[in-house]
Amino acid sequence: MIEFTHVFKRYPGGFDALRDINLRIEAGEMAFITGHSGAGKSTLLRLITAIERPTRGEAAVNGRNLTKLPRRRIPYFRRDIGVVFQDYKLLFDRTVYDNVALPLIVTGADDKEIPKRVRAALEMVGLLDKERMLPVTLSGGEQQRVGIARAVVNKPPLLLADEPTGNLDSKLADEILDLFLDFNNHGVTVLIATHDLHLIDRARRRVIELNHGELARDTGAKA
Amino acid sequence: MIRNYFLRHAQVFFYTLGQLSRTPVATFLTVAVIGITLALPAGLYVAIENVQRVASGWEDNGQISLFLKQDLSEPAIEKLSDKIRKLPAVSWVDYVSREAALAEFKKLSGFGEALGALERNPLPPVLVVHPSTKHSRPEALQALLNDLRRYNEVELAQLDLEWVQRLYAMLDVARQGVLILTAGLAVAVLLIIGNTIRLAVLNRRDEIEIIKLIGGTNAFIRRPFLYAGTIQGLLGGILAWLLVGIGLLLLSGPVHRLASLYGSLFSLENLGFLATLALIGTGGLLGWLGSRLAVGRHLRAIEPR
Repeated sequence: MIEFTHVFKRYPGGFDALRDINLRIEAGEMAFITGHSGAGKSTLLRLITAIERPTRGEAAVNGRNLTKLPRRRIPYFRRDIGVVFQDYKLLFDRTVYDNVALPLIVTGADDKEIPKRVRAALEMVGLLDKERMLPVTLSGGEQQRVGIARAVVNKPPLLLADEPTGNLDSKLADEILDLFLDFNNHGVTVLIATHDLHLIDRARRRVIELNHGELARDTGAKA
Repeated sequence: MIRNYFLRHAQVFFYTLGQLSRTPVATFLTVAVIGITLALPAGLYVAIENVQRVASGWEDNGQISLFLKQDLSEPAIEKLSDKIRKLPAVSWVDYVSREAALAEFKKLSGFGEALGALERNPLPPVLVVHPSTKHSRPEALQALLNDLRRYNEVELAQLDLEWVQRLYAMLDVARQGVLILTAGLAVAVLLIIGNTIRLAVLNRRDEIEIIKLIGGTNAFIRRPFLYAGTIQGLLGGILAWLLVGIGLLLLSGPVHRLASLYGSLFSLENLGFLATLALIGTGGLLGWLGSRLAVGRHLRAIEPR
């Protein structure tokens, strides 16, 4: 699903965010990326979502070579990746329903399909009764679950999360983790960047640790 | 598939209308500026067309007035008139006697009383020569004029067409001026729309970022902005049309009175159907182009962080 070989990312000014990363994550795996702030977790996710490109090395996601992916293909490439953000990135002028429906509208899904799939996604995160509400009226945990519903509504094979529990207390964080574990049990590849050790301990999945842009530890696929 | 495509465009269209109506003041200001900007050249165009219409009434009777010598006797004038009537270039000749000329002048000039005080009639007898239609081209008229000047009885021969020709030349200049003005104002409309859309893009920066992250194409992101620009441009065109109409309505009374003083039934004519379509279409086109330029430039700058 994700394959990095000798990937370097250098930002203008000479800062090396990632150095010689070799990484292989199979379809159906679930892994945590951890490390101190500035270790390169976010950069790794930005490369996987084609927001940025590697300076050197080869990176492939979903069978597509990211170094050679033409700009105009990037939107279509991203449709196979669901992304969950620390700050949820919801649209506050639209209802929960409209937020979750956005990826379907963007990809031009069939009109009759949209309500079914939006409600299925909302049911998975337990917010079916709040579809008419505006995001501001929801709690942080609920907002994050809206974000997750939006990330999975397209049924992407790969789900990325950048500090998904960073703004939540531990009880809510556990609920969010359970959702990710559930998706993974249904065959979705899940990759979570976090420095929440409690979350990592509880999940008992593969851990990839970055340190100053280098791969410091990889517990491997069978942890 | 195609049905879906149109459905999606219709959805974006109504979504955009909703967005515009949620900020009525900003939308109205943009539409007003576009409307006034377009009304200016459109109004001038209408004015020129109307002047042209007045002038085309005069163009056909490009007549030559022969002012004869004061002391000519009636039979002599009769003889001259017959001679001229037989020229191949001439269709017919009208004779305005000194008395008739004075009577007409008294009636039209308003100096009736004062003229009565004159001891003798100062006006010369006039022959009005109407050229045949085959000879109404400017060069032919000029040749005829030169021929008529050679008669001894003629004091002064005047081609009444000259000022019509000058008017035409002036209209050409004015038309060219309107064209230049239109080009300049079209650029102004582009800038107005471009700036409006630029602000709209910046206002919805977060939304654009998110849509880019979940796989929205640039065409998808552009669409509502293009609709917003086009709708505001079209509304501006319609407003310009209304403004021109109101202007004409306000002028129609005074113009009618002016025309009736000249014994004319002339009345102002509004933009024709095609010209109206062109005006509104230009508004829409400029709106689309302005938003396309602005969105294209700013979309590239907004990338997910």
